[in-house]
Amino acid sequence: MADTPQAVIDERVKDVSPWRKALIRPELGGIIGTVAVFTFFALLAHDSGMFNAQGILNWSTVSAQFMIIAVGACLLMIAGEFDLSVGSMIGFAGMMIAIFGVTLGWPMWIAILVTFAICMAFGALNGVIVVRTGLPSFIVTLATLFILRGFTIFIPQTLERKTIIGGIREAAEGDWLAALFGGTIGRPFFQWLGDAGVIGVFDRGNRAGEPVVNGVPMLIIWAFVLIVFGHILLTRTRFGNWIFAAGGDAQAARYAGVPVDRVKILMFVFTAFCATVFATCQVMEFGSAGADRGLLKEFEAIIAVVIGGALLTGGYGSVIGAALGALIFGVVQQGLFFANVESSLFRVFLGVILLLAVILNTYIRRIITGER
Amino acid sequence: MEPTVKPIVSMKDIEKHFGSVIALNGVSVDILPGECHCLLGDNGAGKSTFIKTMSGVHRPTSGEIFFEGRPMSFADPRDAIAAGIATVYQDLAMIPLMSVSRNFFMGNEPIRRIAGLPFFDHDLANRVTMEEMQSMGINLRGPDQAVGTLSGGERQTVAIARAVYFGAKVLILDEPTSALGVRQTSNVLATIDKVRKKGIAVVFITHNVRHAMAVGDRFTVLNRGQTLGTAERGEITPEELQDMMAGGQEMATLEGSLGGTV
Amino acid sequence: MKFFKTLALAATALTVPFASHAQAIDDDLSYIMVSHAPDSDAWWNTIKNALNLAGEQMGVNVEYRNPPTGDLADMARIIEQAAASGPDGIITTVADYDVLAGPIRSAVDQGIDVIIMNSGTPEQVRELGALMFVGQPEYDAGLAAGQRAKGDGVESFVCVNHKISNPVIADRCRGFADGLGIELGSSMIDSGEDPAEIKNRVMAYLNTNPDTDAILTLGPTSANPTIQAVEEMGLAGDIYFGTFDLGAEIVQAIKDGTIQWGIDQQPFLQAYLPVVVLANYDRYGVLPGNNVNSGPGFVTADNIDKVEELAGEFR
Repeated sequence: MADTPQAVIDERVKDVSPWRKALIRPELGGIIGTVAVFTFFALLAHDSGMFNAQGILNWSTVSAQFMIIAVGACLLMIAGEFDLSVGSMIGFAGMMIAIFGVTLGWPMWIAILVTFAICMAFGALNGVIVVRTGLPSFIVTLATLFILRGFTIFIPQTLERKTIIGGIREAAEGDWLAALFGGTIGRPFFQWLGDAGVIGVFDRGNRAGEPVVNGVPMLIIWAFVLIVFGHILLTRTRFGNWIFAAGGDAQAARYAGVPVDRVKILMFVFTAFCATVFATCQVMEFGSAGADRGLLKEFEAIIAVVIGGALLTGGYGSVIGAALGALIFGVVQQGLFFANVESSLFRVFLGVILLLAVILNTYIRRIITGER
Repeated sequence: MEPTVKPIVSMKDIEKHFGSVIALNGVSVDILPGECHCLLGDNGAGKSTFIKTMSGVHRPTSGEIFFEGRPMSFADPRDAIAAGIATVYQDLAMIPLMSVSRNFFMGNEPIRRIAGLPFFDHDLANRVTMEEMQSMGINLRGPDQAVGTLSGGERQTVAIARAVYFGAKVLILDEPTSALGVRQTSNVLATIDKVRKKGIAVVFITHNVRHAMAVGDRFTVLNRGQTLGTAERGEITPEELQDMMAGGQEMATLEGSLGGTV
Repeated sequence: MKFFKTLALAATALTVPFASHAQAIDDDLSYIMVSHAPDSDAWWNTIKNALNLAGEQMGVNVEYRNPPTGDLADMARIIEQAAASGPDGIITTVADYDVLAGPIRSAVDQGIDVIIMNSGTPEQVRELGALMFVGQPEYDAGLAAGQRAKGDGVESFVCVNHKISNPVIADRCRGFADGLGIELGSSMIDSGEDPAEIKNRVMAYLNTNPDTDAILTLGPTSANPTIQAVEEMGLAGDIYFGTFDLGAEIVQAIKDGTIQWGIDQQPFLQAYLPVVVLANYDRYGVLPGNNVNSGPGFVTADNIDKVEELAGEFR
């Protein structure tokens, strides 16, 4: 900013150290956490397979799952709202794809598109109820959590008399849209890596000779695309400014002419979209939809966002931070297994990280707002 | 009043009822371009309802609003803002967590197209913010400084500068000085003076007679949902204004016992 | 900021002592069991105990992992992760063939020995290239129980299903209905996993369907509250009550006569045998020639004493 007029130094404004200045960037906690977590596991689990190709694929896939729902939850939280129905939405969306594509036998691309439409309509409904009634989104989406989970169990039981519907992979064979969610890309590259001995290959069975990692899952591609989209939307567009404003102080934003209701409803729709992407990738990879899919995922999304530096009260946060939060979450969750730590201690670890993140966030908030 | 100067906003016989409560009972006020019109009244006098009617938040139950001579009916605050009536609310002007430049352009973000896609033009926003803040006498550390770190007076000034920059013809200030210290108050009053000199009509709501007398050109007193008349500068003393606000007699008695310090 | 550093250090220090709790011996074999059970499922405690016992006795490292919420997609990730950490063998369930087939087959193709326990069918085990299956074929167990109940004069029943999303468990109800020779229809209720809810739903069902002859519960999670429900309604001993699996309360109820029989699938064997089989296979190359049926065995008032002492721990 060369052409910024030189400000006259006001003696009452204290100079701010670079450290404090960096601290008010919402990504900082995420960056420090990421470095800390990788250092921790590099020391503790370096020879456990965590950092071979298969291990890396494992924790990056898990992290990518968290990232997909964290991007939606992040933008919604910055806009000042929560969505607790994300987990149920994942189960519901997967089940709808199975019902339409397998039970009813529709072409898979129609099944996917209709599912997206239904789920985003539910997202919009969440949003409309929240902005029209002024009720806390916590309660409204808690209701949606139960409603969607109930349908996810009821519909397949009524139609198929079971709660897991399989055969999705077969039904999706050769479908152009399904290929965007399932499968992998970059297979020749990984084959070459396998042949060159950089990564391991299967040494028996009908896939002998194939590399153990045969491409980057579309799930990871989706995570990347959503993060880039969310980050640009938030920081580089007019709409992004409205998201901050809607969450920072809805009334002030309204007085300034920001269409707060529209922003919030759209963010609910976007959160539902992210949940449906998650679900579609999941059913395409595993080939079946189950009534208990996605349990507690809403909290995992919120935790990733908070670790990533967003304030629970809205108006502040970053998509990159949320993505790093999801990475930390995924690496810790899978890494503790690699490090041979008793798996029930995962929650202890997670709780400690969450607590640290929230304390740090509160501290940051005080710095920004100058509260004493 | 000189008949040659046409009022920019003219409110005629405005009534506003909330259910059985009559908040405004036939209020008429003219606002002239380039004047600082002080609207005085005690708590509950109807000041808030009146300015919310002027800024499009409320629709009057009866009465007419003329803006630049034409009858106007604002559906919501956006209409009023688009027409050139900007309002700065006491607590609701700024968002503390956002940077000054994001606040400054909130709702009016400048757009720069890259490959046909509209992006927020941060360079322009930052430059304009720094310039406008300097012209109002506020030195920022940088355009990305959060509003939360500014003092109350500075926040009011940012909000006023924002309204002026976006072409407000009428600027409504809702109790801008009520929560401020002496130094900050004088800064805000100085800002009001600068704005008035640009030819913008300022509607200054306050219950502090001193603040009103410091910058006001004309004074309208509201009491119990009615106007007690409009006076020009020099036609009225602070004591008379104070009396009218309080509804006359009892205040005079009270003031006597307090030794004229109120 | 010193405060944060201290906290972070404390958190790190907290987790380290818990690492590598099983002792390694000379050949350092390690096996990972991945179950489908959520943390809340008490029945799997027996599995964990038997697993640790087998690990100790055979001198191998064993680890138990499970998806915290019982989400099978998470379970698939855990199997992938287990395979990536390169153990000598994986012991897991086939709770949903579609979801788990891919990760299990990848592990097998990678050269890891896999034994399927608890849930699955012999066909699926063959298909996946696993070494063997140790468990109780659920439909057959349900069928046998249904035939037994029919012999005792039962004509209608309610099946209390606390895990409606697991189709393998539901097979127990289906088998039972077929054993009785009646339609399952609406006899299976989704009770949820909360004890108070289960109890109240059973009471509600029995109130609205007073002609129900028998109750079938699918595990301690649904059996324990159901015992309370029939006791409160004064039906204890009067209504025909059978359950899958055992636990301290179930054992007591069998002694009291509230429950006629419990089907013991002997989970101890499902965890213990795979570890023994894998260790001997890795060390000496010996492998049993067939799948092992760990159940069903009926536990009644006649043989309860043996079971009672160890219920919930090893039985």
